[in-house]
Amino acid sequence: MQKVFNNKMAIFLFVFPGILLFALTFLVPIVLSAYYSFRDTLSPGTPSAFIGFANYTQLLLHDSRFWLALRNAVLLGLGFILIQHPIAIFFAIMLDRLGGKAEKWFRTIFFIPCVISVVVISKMWLSLLDPTFGAFNKMLDSLGLGMLKHAWLGDSSTALISMLFILIWAGFGWGLLFYYAGLKGIPDDLYEAASLDGASGFRLHWRITVPLLSPVITVQITLAMITALKQMETVFLTTNGGPGDSTQFLAVYLYNKAFSASQYGYANAISILFIIVCLLATYISNKLTRSDATEF
Amino acid sequence: MTKSTKTILWVFFLIVALVQLFPLIWLIDFSFLSSNEFYSSSVLKWPSDPQWQNYINAWVDGKFLRYFINSTFVTSVTILLTVILSLTLGYAFTRMQWKLRPIFFTIILLGIMIPIHATLLPNFAIFKALGLTNSYLGLILPYTAVSVPLGTFILTGFMRSIPKAMEESAVVDGANIYRIVFQIIAPLTAPALVTVIVTTFLNCWNEFIMASTFLSKDALKTLPFSVMNFAGQYSSDYGSQFAVMVLTSIPAIVIYAIFNEQITKGVTAGAVKG
Repeated sequence: MQKVFNNKMAIFLFVFPGILLFALTFLVPIVLSAYYSFRDTLSPGTPSAFIGFANYTQLLLHDSRFWLALRNAVLLGLGFILIQHPIAIFFAIMLDRLGGKAEKWFRTIFFIPCVISVVVISKMWLSLLDPTFGAFNKMLDSLGLGMLKHAWLGDSSTALISMLFILIWAGFGWGLLFYYAGLKGIPDDLYEAASLDGASGFRLHWRITVPLLSPVITVQITLAMITALKQMETVFLTTNGGPGDSTQFLAVYLYNKAFSASQYGYANAISILFIIVCLLATYISNKLTRSDATEF
Repeated sequence: MTKSTKTILWVFFLIVALVQLFPLIWLIDFSFLSSNEFYSSSVLKWPSDPQWQNYINAWVDGKFLRYFINSTFVTSVTILLTVILSLTLGYAFTRMQWKLRPIFFTIILLGIMIPIHATLLPNFAIFKALGLTNSYLGLILPYTAVSVPLGTFILTGFMRSIPKAMEESAVVDGANIYRIVFQIIAPLTAPALVTVIVTTFLNCWNEFIMASTFLSKDALKTLPFSVMNFAGQYSSDYGSQFAVMVLTSIPAIVIYAIFNEQITKGVTAGAVKG
């Protein structure tokens, strides 16, 4: 047995292709990105001069957009955690109570938005929230709330919250599914024991379900923060960061710097900081959440 | 739970499901309208004269078939490569004994945390220099690289729960390591493999930003570009735009309908084992 597991040739064949691919598409690019981040490159491959940390000092000390993008990611992440996740947990619990065929059917329906292309989702919501023919404003009209009519994505005071709304709609199914799966792993006899002790309804779930779901919740919170940081496609295809940077995110910013503003070196500096921020966020949330995971 | 509570719950879910699906219902409804009907005051509108022409425009001007074939090819090859690489990596990380194992495992898992958007710029420069932009490989390579870390993570979790006795008896029967991995372990990990396949499918099939950065040649573009084709010259032809969005969504929904049960099972297995 040991001989089989120590087979050096097999290990090489199993690991080398994956590591090579990973090195070529992740590690080498990051090194290259770091190289470009110290130069004043305008577009890839053009001659450039070494400028030291100039891009980084500009970004960290003088670029308010960079900090706005980070702030937006934090706000979006908080939006996910405080709005989307409680709703998802609530629905997972209700769904679990429903049982039978209906449980399966509703679970299937709620997930449908998750399989639809981000291009379709973005263009669809752009139309839904359109100030002239969008269904959202028409609905407000028919409810007699016409005074609330609004260019939802076009106004800097409502753009970010509208974005959160779109992303919650699109991602709700995944959250629901994860919590639902977590619930299925909680043994039924715990509920029986608790109801014998007189707990019921809301108290039952607050005392039993939520603590026992905490491993799933902590993982989901980490994922929510990372999802918020990585936000790009929906923003890129709807508001492109605007109006006035109200929906600016790091990925959108670096993309536009590289391909529209011809500041390739600067964009690469954003890339490097972006990677550092993502790794830090993962590290911090791992540290914060690992200690209090409940075993059952 | 009493019958009446159950009924209330049922009605509640039905309403929420309708609200949740409303944007899609609206999309389908308006894809049958002519553009001047868009501005009427009603939220939903029964099409008095369904505009099938919108769907013909979507099919022809959205270059639906061409892009569909490209998407199918790119996604299939990506899935195949992802499955093979994740399976072999997963096996090497859980069962095989070698010194660099923890280091390489950490490196691969970093791939889950590093945002692809951050590697987009340097990859564009590299692919341009290597002549990989405007080729199928220019999409297949990064798509596989992005999918393998998650695939490996899911499979290592699953493989740890398989008893070693399976392999021991295979070794006694004279099977070599390759037969063990591909003929014994692969079928045993089938539920996890389906999860890997489905998540890879959803990610690659709908991916847009890498495709739009690495491809400019029309003949190679993937399905999301059908929708983008209507952004410029047809931007006021809303009916056709909506029709192309409906058409683009259908394949993924069909695949989901088929594999729905496996997705849930896969996620459940993943969540419980954590």
